[in-house]
Amino acid sequence: MSPEQTNLLQGTLDMVILKALRLGEMHGLGISRRIEQISQGTFVVKSGSLFPALRRMQEEGWISSAWGESETNRRAKYYRLTKAGVKQLEEETAKWERIVLGISRTLEAS
Amino acid sequence: MTQKRKLRWLSRAVSFFRNVTGRQKDELDIAAELNAHLDLLIEEKLRSGMKPGEAERAARIELGGVEQVKEQVRDVRTGAWLDKLAQDCRFALRMSRKNPGFTAIVVLTLALGIAANTTVLSWISATLLNPIPGVAHTSDLVTVARGDLSDHPTPPFSYPDVRDLSERTQTFSGLLGYHEDYMSLTGVAKPERIYGALTTANYFDLLGVHPILGRAFLPKEGTPRAGAAVIVIGYAVWQNHFAGDPQVVGKKIQINRHPYTVIGVAPRDFNGCKTGLRTDLWIPVSMDRDVWGADRPARRGTFWLNVLGKLRPGVTKNQAETELNLLMRGIVERFPEDHRDSPNEISLDPLWRSPFGINVYLYKTLPMLLGLAGVLLLLACANVASLLLVRSVGRRREIAIRLGMGASRQQIIRQFLIESLLLGLLGGTAALVITKWTSRRLVAFFPPTPIPLTNDAHIDQRVLFVTIAVSILAAIIFGILPALRSSSLPVQSVLKEEATSVSLTLHKGRLLSGLVVAQISLSLVLLVCAGLFTRSLQKAQQSDPGFEASHLLLASYELSPAGYTRATSVAFDRQVLDRLSALPGVESVTLADFSPLSFSIHTDYLQIEGYVPQPHESMEISRAIVGPNYFRTLRTSVISGREFTEADTVDSQLVAVVNQAFVDRYWPGEDAIGKQVTDGPVRFTIVGVARNAKYRLLTYPTEPVIYLPIYQAYRLTQDTTIHLRTTGDPRAMASSVEETIHQLNRELPLFNVNPLSVTMQLGSLFQRVAVTFAGSFGFLAMLLAAVGIYGVVAYTTRQRTREIGIRVALGAKKEGIYRLVLGQGFRLILAGLVVGTVLALAFARLLKAQLFGVSETDAITFTSVGLLLAVVALVACHIPARRATRVDPMVALRHE
Repeated sequence: MSPEQTNLLQGTLDMVILKALRLGEMHGLGISRRIEQISQGTFVVKSGSLFPALRRMQEEGWISSAWGESETNRRAKYYRLTKAGVKQLEEETAKWERIVLGISRTLEAS
Repeated sequence: MTQKRKLRWLSRAVSFFRNVTGRQKDELDIAAELNAHLDLLIEEKLRSGMKPGEAERAARIELGGVEQVKEQVRDVRTGAWLDKLAQDCRFALRMSRKNPGFTAIVVLTLALGIAANTTVLSWISATLLNPIPGVAHTSDLVTVARGDLSDHPTPPFSYPDVRDLSERTQTFSGLLGYHEDYMSLTGVAKPERIYGALTTANYFDLLGVHPILGRAFLPKEGTPRAGAAVIVIGYAVWQNHFAGDPQVVGKKIQINRHPYTVIGVAPRDFNGCKTGLRTDLWIPVSMDRDVWGADRPARRGTFWLNVLGKLRPGVTKNQAETELNLLMRGIVERFPEDHRDSPNEISLDPLWRSPFGINVYLYKTLPMLLGLAGVLLLLACANVASLLLVRSVGRRREIAIRLGMGASRQQIIRQFLIESLLLGLLGGTAALVITKWTSRRLVAFFPPTPIPLTNDAHIDQRVLFVTIAVSILAAIIFGILPALRSSSLPVQSVLKEEATSVSLTLHKGRLLSGLVVAQISLSLVLLVCAGLFTRSLQKAQQSDPGFEASHLLLASYELSPAGYTRATSVAFDRQVLDRLSALPGVESVTLADFSPLSFSIHTDYLQIEGYVPQPHESMEISRAIVGPNYFRTLRTSVISGREFTEADTVDSQLVAVVNQAFVDRYWPGEDAIGKQVTDGPVRFTIVGVARNAKYRLLTYPTEPVIYLPIYQAYRLTQDTTIHLRTTGDPRAMASSVEETIHQLNRELPLFNVNPLSVTMQLGSLFQRVAVTFAGSFGFLAMLLAAVGIYGVVAYTTRQRTREIGIRVALGAKKEGIYRLVLGQGFRLILAGLVVGTVLALAFARLLKAQLFGVSETDAITFTSVGLLLAVVALVACHIPARRATRVDPMVALRHE
């Protein structure tokens, strides 16, 4: 792990995955690469975290999955956001923004 | 938000269902997805310019163990706990299969402990908890009785009293009255004796029993003088006499030579409302004249009906009791003549201790037996716990490895508890198999008797449910200590230890010793109870009942259903006595309307010259109608005056004999001869005083009895029992007695032809039940305790093999080693005996009321039982001690 890479804060992995899926359906590797890309390499999601998280969110009803074909005609399982997932993302984002705002204020104050 | 939460639950529930049902498909899906993922990764690496082999390696590294990822996915799956549980169960099953001997011993121990409880419970369930088979809800039913609770209560009410009470009461939704007695089913080739009831018209409706064919009584059918000759027959009568004819309603049946129209058939499981007694048919109370030639429903002063009441919802027993007593006082004030000198105080009792039927005898015995069974189960748990503890020492390495591999303590505890649970449930299942047989054994205690005793104890829902609950509870009790103890291991030191030098930590040793002490002390408690009951039974059977039971043959017949009148009956009885006394091998012969110790003595309401009853004192006194030579035949000596002779007839002076207890109670210090006693309309003069004899239960104090001569006081409604004293075996006379009777009347059925020594076993029925159970519990307990102490001493001795080897090498003698091991066992036994004695003293106090002729602190019982247990336990310790003396120091030391 290179020095700039950081472990995701606990509880934020779901939000990041939901955010990645916001743009359209994607398979596991796609989600993983997407997160690396949008975080500009800060976050690396390992398979051991990704797949359990996908499974959990699926059971919560936030995302759904279906088998499909990749750009290179390979079979892959694709995930997409459900309505409940969109709502969950909005709630988590709002909550996150409140936290960030609070923390920045706290840090600035000193 | 709530809707969202609902959706989430729904989504999870669907997932749970899918995860549980579509297990295999799901596994394939996860595998396929990870494979596809790997392929995509490889493709990506290739595109970035890696060589094929290199690309695959890099991809696998990035993915990081397919199996681990799969496991992580499985862990988040909804319902993952179910998987883990199944895994634990599989493991537990494997462990128990690997160790079949251990499993068998544990399961057998538990099965016996649990079966003891479920057997007693099945009896409680069939009697105390289900007092009226066929009626599901009996909690709002109470028995209404006059006087205090007793097993021979005052015949409670006259018909007019019941009618007035039920018309006025606000606390009861209804009161029903019934009177049960033997009747004869006549008009068939061979008249049959049956047990029938006269009932008020609301009987079936109030109980909520619906005939399976036809209908129950209409209100007008129960009205005296306007009553109808209708009958509801029981299932057995329907099957036996009508061959289950579906068209039986409307057909005729003859009872005591009067025809009745069948209007209904009672459900199969309904036996009437006297617990433990089977009623065969029901006739409206208004038909008393037809059935028994009496006119009791019209008389306010004739108390003959047993009464049950159904409380209105929300009314307490006390409120109802207060109200009925108020109403009863009103009735007594209006009809003082009819209620003079009888207890008019009303008491209500729940059916589980109803004075009518078998419950009044069982409601103390059975819960006490359940208590003993509970002690046995506790002992079985202690036994199994010590076995598990010993075994868990052997599993220290396995546990340490699992802890070392990252299993949490919780997981280990769960694993242990699931293993215990499996053992518990196996034990419970085996217990059910045992109980299926033992639940039916209560009937085996019934001696031959004309009383229609019935018992339908079996494994019902309640018993099944409790068995499962008890198995689980037991598993927790015996499993928790070993589980806690084993999961708190110092992992590293265990793993570093040589397997052979693993020894008991001091702590565990103490726990094991504690369990052994518990087993010894609990088995002492059970043995003491068994001993006390056995001594009570012995004392009761050795006690002098006041008559001599050996060489007496009984045989009964009933004349009124056969068409005899009072005069022809007396003539018949005389002929019977003449012919029987002429038989060879007959010493003397007499008749009576009862036989001793078989619950057949009757009572009469007496007025006694010169005696003023206390308020509420019951003057229902045991009354025996006996033939000439009764006292000579039974060998009950007449203390003063004379006994009855052939000359005591309707034409001579009306005479009676009383027993000593009668004189002591009503005429203390006076001469009874010449005094007078009034029984109903008749006045008798006392001509003799007899020694006390016990007719009810051997364990009861002697009570006053009045004897009336059969030729004077003959009652047509009652059956007559021949008492025949023989010179040889009474059984051998049975056929010639039967022949003699049939020479006089070919049609007359003779029933209950048995030696008195057999029929009087009924009088010790409940004592014998208690002795048998307490005895077998005590025996089992002793066995378990012996196995328990053997196991622990043998185990600790094996652990000390090396130490013993060193001692021997240093010159210790064999006796010294023997004493060392035996001493350890002896200390445990001693501690167990001390604790056990204290417990037994406390426990035995609860039994006081059920003991006879022996104190609850009986020194003989305590010492003999304690010695027995000590010897058995020492023998159990002797085996490992002997083995220890044979330890070869060279082998023991090289072994390390």
